Amino acid sequence: MERIAAWHVTIGTARGAAHHASGLPNQDAAAYQTGPDRAVAVAIADGHGHARHFRSAAGSALAVGVACRAATQVAVGLSEGRAEPTAAVRDELTRAIVTNWRTAVASDLAVQPYTAREQSALDLAGDSREVPYGSTLLVTAISGHWLVCAQIGDGDLLGVCPDGDVFYPVAADDLLDGCRTTSLCQPDAAALFRTGAHDLREVPLLVLLHATDGYGNAQAEEPWQPGVGRDLAELAAEHDHHWFEQQVPSWAQRCASADGSGDDVTIALLLRADAATMKQDHARRDS
Amino acid sequence: MTTSGSGWPYAQGRDHPGPGAAGMTEVVPYSRMPGGGIARRPLHFIILADCSGGMKGEKIQALNYAIADMMPHLAAWERDQEQAQVFIRAIAFATEPRWHIQDPQPVAGLRWRPLQPVAKGLTNMGPAFAMAAEALAPGRIERRALRPALLLITDGMATDLPGGFEAGLTALMSQPAGKAALRLSIAIGCDAQSAALDRFIGDPSVPVLVADSTEDIADRLVAVSLAVSRMSEAGADRSALARRLFGRPDDVPAGIFNQDTII
Repeated sequence: MERIAAWHVTIGTARGAAHHASGLPNQDAAAYQTGPDRAVAVAIADGHGHARHFRSAAGSALAVGVACRAATQVAVGLSEGRAEPTAAVRDELTRAIVTNWRTAVASDLAVQPYTAREQSALDLAGDSREVPYGSTLLVTAISGHWLVCAQIGDGDLLGVCPDGDVFYPVAADDLLDGCRTTSLCQPDAAALFRTGAHDLREVPLLVLLHATDGYGNAQAEEPWQPGVGRDLAELAAEHDHHWFEQQVPSWAQRCASADGSGDDVTIALLLRADAATMKQDHARRDS
Repeated sequence: MTTSGSGWPYAQGRDHPGPGAAGMTEVVPYSRMPGGGIARRPLHFIILADCSGGMKGEKIQALNYAIADMMPHLAAWERDQEQAQVFIRAIAFATEPRWHIQDPQPVAGLRWRPLQPVAKGLTNMGPAFAMAAEALAPGRIERRALRPALLLITDGMATDLPGGFEAGLTALMSQPAGKAALRLSIAIGCDAQSAALDRFIGDPSVPVLVADSTEDIADRLVAVSLAVSRMSEAGADRSALARRLFGRPDDVPAGIFNQDTII
């Protein structure tokens, strides 16, 4: 009988030093949800900092909520053997996320409508009612031996193998130039998602790093991913998830500081519960 | 500016000076953080300075003085903000361009080496744009760098051979970083203001800054340094910034100042 791995989720988030200086809140958000048979869904989101997106903190919070629920549905389907994470399944996931996020924005607006001045600014700019809530989103689900990922906008998803090698669960997006990003608030948001599915029997995943762009923008090394992957694999072999729960928030804090990117930083780590054993097994096989 | 990421078990830092720091009774250990350490995001500022024959004498002296005077302003801003580390480069151009500062130099502590005019040198801008374009090519600047800033300072019309100006500008605009850059221009003397400078800026909301006299150069560079320093601020209202710096009316399109948002 196939053994299903268990996963621990560790989240750290910090308000950027530049946001602190300019009076902006932490506009990132993160959430996770567990399902049957050790299924787990994780989502992080980065609300856009520009004044045009003046409700982006709410937008990112709504995004991680709807994303976790939608991804858990996919995970449940996978655990019950009803579906493979085909492109059609992933498209269904992203459509559900966008539809539910817009519904959630509408509900939020019903409670807190735009002021006349805000509405006037929207009309002048020709912005839709979703634009002030603009946010990126990275969401993953692990169910059985499947890893399913979807991302819109900037930020980083990084898979780490037991030997420290890294892989990128979704393709890069040439549209992202470091200043502008694709967003949930765009009319064609569902089409702007990048998705991926990976069979974990073929890809030995030890750690999955989710990070908003403030994390990567703080890294001095270029490219930073190989070094981070190598170190995460070593740390996962040396420490359990309790240690990561203590450390990850401080990593976010340092990256968000004026010594780093100064931007909001959110890190979510998915760590295999038997990471140390997995790495030892892998090392034994290699030797 | 870089702090050690794997400086286990301690690392120097603003909030946690590390072991042996004066006045510390308790050392707060940094956790081991994966990766090669952290650093602020680079903000590359490239000056393209006209060193043609017409700049000799009072103009080049005033320009050198004004640039040297601008550096401490930028350095002070760098210390006071939370996002960027400013790196300076400079291209001196006349008939041909050459690097005056080729490797990016941190603005803090930079000592400006005076530019020298080229006797009988022309004002060929296109090759200078192409030289800047090479420096901004993917792989030549960091992926995490903030949008660069380019400042063109000249006292005359472009004297490029036919097609030369366009070729250089096209090369610059074909680089993502060149296209995204904040491009500013100072015209020394009314004669220098031209359609060519407007085309270099590429944004009707950002005017050519005219220095009617050599005394004005320093004032215009202050405006430039303010523009450079504000451009990286998260959530900044860049339209309002343009109006404040350049005195444009409210209905001017924001253009380059409004790009840190959705595609």
